[in-house]
Amino acid sequence: MSRETMTRTERVDAAIRLEKPDRVPVVPLLSAEAAGTLSGATMAQVSNDSQILFNSILKVFDDYGGWDAMHGGVWRPIHVQATGTHPMKIRIPGVDLPDDYVFQLVEEPIMQLEDYDKICQMGFDNFYYDDYLWRISSLTQDSLSDALEDVMIWGMKFLPEMAKRDVGMWVAATGMHPFFHLSLMRSLITFTEDLYYRPEIVEKTLKRMTADLIPKQIAMAKALGHNRWLLTEERASAYTYPLSVFERFWWPYTQEIVEAFWSEGIVTVFHIDTPWDKNLPYFKRLPKGSYVVSLDSTTDIFAAKQLLRGHGAIYGDVSASLLTIGSPADVEAYVKRLIDEVGDDGGFILGQGCNLPSNIKPENFRAMLDTCKTYEFSKK
Amino acid sequence: MSQELAMALVELNRDKAMELVRSRAEKGEDPLGILAECRDGMTIVGERFQAGDYYLAELLLSGEIFKAAIAFLEPYLAKVLPAKPLGKVVLATVRGDIHDLGKNILSVLLKAQGFEVHDLGVDVAPAKIVETVKEVQPGFVGFSALITTSFPAMKETAQMLVEAGLRDKVKLMVGGGVTTPALKDYVGADFQTIDATAGVSYCLQNVEGR
Ligand code: B12
Repeated sequence: MSRETMTRTERVDAAIRLEKPDRVPVVPLLSAEAAGTLSGATMAQVSNDSQILFNSILKVFDDYGGWDAMHGGVWRPIHVQATGTHPMKIRIPGVDLPDDYVFQLVEEPIMQLEDYDKICQMGFDNFYYDDYLWRISSLTQDSLSDALEDVMIWGMKFLPEMAKRDVGMWVAATGMHPFFHLSLMRSLITFTEDLYYRPEIVEKTLKRMTADLIPKQIAMAKALGHNRWLLTEERASAYTYPLSVFERFWWPYTQEIVEAFWSEGIVTVFHIDTPWDKNLPYFKRLPKGSYVVSLDSTTDIFAAKQLLRGHGAIYGDVSASLLTIGSPADVEAYVKRLIDEVGDDGGFILGQGCNLPSNIKPENFRAMLDTCKTYEFSKK
Repeated sequence: MSQELAMALVELNRDKAMELVRSRAEKGEDPLGILAECRDGMTIVGERFQAGDYYLAELLLSGEIFKAAIAFLEPYLAKVLPAKPLGKVVLATVRGDIHDLGKNILSVLLKAQGFEVHDLGVDVAPAKIVETVKEVQPGFVGFSALITTSFPAMKETAQMLVEAGLRDKVKLMVGGGVTTPALKDYVGADFQTIDATAGVSYCLQNVEGR
């Protein structure tokens, strides 16, 4: 039986470069919810207490023998609202929900029609912090500063802990696609009406938001010294919209964004939930190696591999459903299939679909990690 | 009869559809006939969706037009004898989950096909669902989920329906992006989908003989 010959970071970097590492890297997205469940903390604790969340993440990493890159950090519900990642009203366990519930977002058309013009005039960040945030949040100016500082402080505290464990970050900078941001702020149905009945104003706003996003996120990625950043989009695929909408309102902005980052040597990691089967062929127009697609299990990952082989790396996709109601044997069988069929020639990072679910079975999490760490060596 | 109104819905021409509904109702045409033509439009949208020519977006937009048409027709419909519903459906997002986007879409599409929908809302306790099933005696019960945290409560509700002797009187559906065939078995449901039109077809197929 052979064994590991690369460090964790070397292994992940090789897969991103479309090479075949010593084994397929495994990178779970350990959000607060799953970190709580797997470490024995309540949803209320991990949602409201940064220290508890910090300890939970490290405890899970250590208890389960670690993995190849850290994805997820001290990122509580209030942080995602304060940073603008989730521009929605939130219900927090232990505050507005029972202690054992996951935090939940409320989707309502908070952004009004006239706000498109405001974004175009003020720019997105000014609109968000001068106006929009106060419509959705119970934060005050002071608690907002505290929340943003909290993100920085705990991010810094992570660094020495990661160094001790010889593990790097999966991504550093993270952003939402402008299209997705608007969908969440206007809400799905209203935004869809805008796309069909008022396309010009949406287009104008997407242009402005894209122009704002590129320099801001490139500067962020550089400041954090990391050559991968995360771009999230969960509403633009052909699950929701015909390709005509995709081609007009999503693809051109996306191509511009990816190429701008790539020209700085930064790889875009797409977090793309929902089925993308019909949209993935467009990704072949991007520079080879400039992107990674994270699939959530509703896109056919095996077909995606055939399509993107040698062009873009793939990350995924053990489903939330399998991890919660499947058995360890089910998880093991699926992980092996992924390694054999998607990881065969490299360019693959194994992970969950989207996010580790909050009610994940510990034995399934272990099966996912252990199978990935041992399967290829056991064959040799 | 021309299908101008039905086609306005299919083409997502909101202004034209509403103008036709308004002028025909004001001329004294039978509101049930107008409603029936809107339903025809929704049926075509559903067929196009299942054929892969239409997407969730078209379902949403035609559903919005349909809702506006019903709202406009309400005072006219109140004056005529109500049409007998095709069947009754109880819908809920079960305890542990507060999301209703998917459930609301299903509800509009079911109504567009002539079903009477009893929507219990979100974060609904199993006992409340069982109580409603007893009272309403629906042919169908549907659980919607966006996140996995409501899975145990779905199973619990299904079990309570069995204990109350109600389970074999209804078809139990589970749906929502996070659901899979394995969830169907876990809950003990009859049908699972991540596509609201498939749910509507399932109800239509199973409505006769009940
Ligand atoms: C967009 C999205 C988001 C958005 C906003 C969602 C919102 N409004 O709250 C954002 C980015 C904010 C988000 C946040 C989070 N999300 Co999210 N999200 C999604 C995503 C990609 C799509 C959801 C969506 O918009 N659907 C659109 C609606 C219209 O579709 P639908 O609900 O499936 O309904 C359709 C059909 O299913 C059907 N249907 C629905 N119900 C029923 C019922 C019956 C009886 C029938 C017949 C049919 C039917 O009808 C509809 C039309 O066809 C899903 C993935 C997925 N595949 O569902 C993940 C998903 C729901 N999210 C997930 C998670 C984990 C989260 C977060 C906790 C992540 C985090 N740590 O930050 C948060 C908070 C949870 C929350 N939402 O409150 C997980 C949940 C897994 C779990 N553990 O339960 C999912 C499933 C992704 C995954 N595979 O891991 N999310």
